[in-house]
Amino acid sequence: MNQSTFASLMVHMIPFFPDLPSSQAVARGIVRAGADHIEIQFPFSDPSADGPTIEAACNRALAQGFRVSKGFDFVREVANLPGSRTRVHIMTYASLVYARGVQKFCADAAEAGAWGLIIPDLPTDNDEGLREAAQAQGLHVVPVVVPTTTDSRLDLITSTSPSMVYGALRTGITGTKTELGPENEAFIQRILSRLRPYGGQLAVGFGIQERAQVRALQPLVDSVIVGSALVRAIGNPPATSEKELEERVANFVTRLATD
Amino acid sequence: MFETDKPVQGFFGQFGGRYVAEVLRTALDELEEAFVDAIHDPIFKEEYSDLLRDFVGRPTPMVFAENATREIGGANIYIKLEGLAATGAHKINNALGQGLLAKRIGKTRIIAETGAGQHGVATAAVCAKLGLPCRVYMGEVDVRRQRPNVFSMELYGAEVTSVTSGAKTLKDAVNEALRDWASSFAETHYLLGSALGPSPFPDMVREFQSIIGGEVKTQSKDRGFHPDCMVACVGGGSNAIGFFAPFLGDSRVSLIGVEAGGRGTSLGDHAARMDGTGSVGIVQGYKSLFLLNEDGQVQDTHSISAGLDYPGIGPQLAHLGTTGRVQFLRSTDTEALEALKFFARTEGVIFALESAHAGAQAVKIAQEMGPGKNLIINMSGRGDKDIFITAKAIAPQAWKGFLSHEIADMEGIQ
Repeated sequence: MNQSTFASLMVHMIPFFPDLPSSQAVARGIVRAGADHIEIQFPFSDPSADGPTIEAACNRALAQGFRVSKGFDFVREVANLPGSRTRVHIMTYASLVYARGVQKFCADAAEAGAWGLIIPDLPTDNDEGLREAAQAQGLHVVPVVVPTTTDSRLDLITSTSPSMVYGALRTGITGTKTELGPENEAFIQRILSRLRPYGGQLAVGFGIQERAQVRALQPLVDSVIVGSALVRAIGNPPATSEKELEERVANFVTRLATD
Repeated sequence: MFETDKPVQGFFGQFGGRYVAEVLRTALDELEEAFVDAIHDPIFKEEYSDLLRDFVGRPTPMVFAENATREIGGANIYIKLEGLAATGAHKINNALGQGLLAKRIGKTRIIAETGAGQHGVATAAVCAKLGLPCRVYMGEVDVRRQRPNVFSMELYGAEVTSVTSGAKTLKDAVNEALRDWASSFAETHYLLGSALGPSPFPDMVREFQSIIGGEVKTQSKDRGFHPDCMVACVGGGSNAIGFFAPFLGDSRVSLIGVEAGGRGTSLGDHAARMDGTGSVGIVQGYKSLFLLNEDGQVQDTHSISAGLDYPGIGPQLAHLGTTGRVQFLRSTDTEALEALKFFARTEGVIFALESAHAGAQAVKIAQEMGPGKNLIINMSGRGDKDIFITAKAIAPQAWKGFLSHEIADMEGIQ
């Protein structure tokens, strides 16, 4: 697995949080630092799978004028940043996808240059045609699984051969620190045993905020996901300029990825 | 008592489903299994029936509204006095059923959401009775405007958690309860109060509420009539679906659901989803009709009655509305207040503001139907709980005087 000195990270961010120019700086920082994946969350009014940090950030982004069409503009800009080797994922809730129309949402995402779609409340067996529509556009649906996901559901989910699976290391919501233990490793192995036969990749996260956690996971999985920790770092302390923010984010990502 | 053939339908036409992240999947799968198992168990059914009789006070009466009928000069109006159930509303039927179910499957903690506070109060009372610790999530705005219910819940021993995210109302309380459940379902049951949310909740809540319609069937038969029309208010829709359920296959009865018309027809001024304003969407784990903007963002709602102030409708009612089996109307804030005054004066019955929405349309329908027909209104709750809203709206000066006096009195004591 990934033993390179710079860990493969998937870094989460929210367009229009805390405002549009700042969020553009955040995205530039993530891409410049060399993250393998960027997870761009389209804010939803009722993000019931997210904790207070991300919910507050989503509300702020909506108040700043986020619209789905502007979200695709944002994705396009990030995907086209010069020299970028970062894959772009769009994460959001079913309501936004369904309201636009599943096919149109996928077409717009593909046109903007996205690689993956993470829609946790459109599960594999109730997905409103998401996987089919995504495939038709060359997009990859990334299912989210948790430690309490049963073997039979893991079988069902991986039977569609997803290119990538998102493993949330503990049950619950985003934004609480996860302690890594043997049960995390067992969960990772349960997923990997189903992905390796066809070459599917595994990214894991939920509560990752320290280099030590990334270091522990790095040899086990393909990518490590960083979510709320960056959202918190963006506002604290408030950035003095977009340049400073971009710098801060790039440093934050680099510190998590290397010793 | 229960529809044991296929109690969990999951989908109603295109509506319903279990649109949840994998984290809640296991909890819902287990819940469905436990629910189906319980309602086939005579011991569970007996325990539920006994407590419905002894603790809830069932059957609730159905009264002939003779004076109202005479004054209106149309169909005979009957009122199912569901508000006479313990804690003042139909909510306790479901709270008791799910509370017993939670205990049966070994859950040691209950969480619930509440808007106006009626479901929270019912759940807190049931938890006190069954000896289960209980936490109720309630939007900060609702905590502020429904202090008497917060007081009751705390008296029953529940912990009331004020929700400060989003619009700080019912939908946000649901989000917060879902968050809690996502990390606590191993030992916690989420006692959802309306016939909505991910499957099996819409089916389960309907089954526990269909006792209302079951009793109406017996009570009208005992009086020698068959209902021609039944009217209920619809927020999420738990009282309506429970009232209607035993009559869905009976085409002689027309079924009317009444939504909150609020203070106007613009988005944000009402909570009516069924007459073209709602869009098909997937929110909080189920597909139904919601008040959304074109991006799929949930919109703010308004109603004088907190219990109807919610942007989504239960999936089965959305389906029944689409097929035309249930017809939907709306009553404004003002119409509801007028109906409340009318039935208080003519029948000695104070409706909850939610139920008064049904009362307002029932009066019009009874008039149109004419004499010789029979109409039943479900008074899903009684109006004591609304006194801080209704007194302020109907007799503001006298109420203000009373409150100032109370405060002066309390400060004098201190």
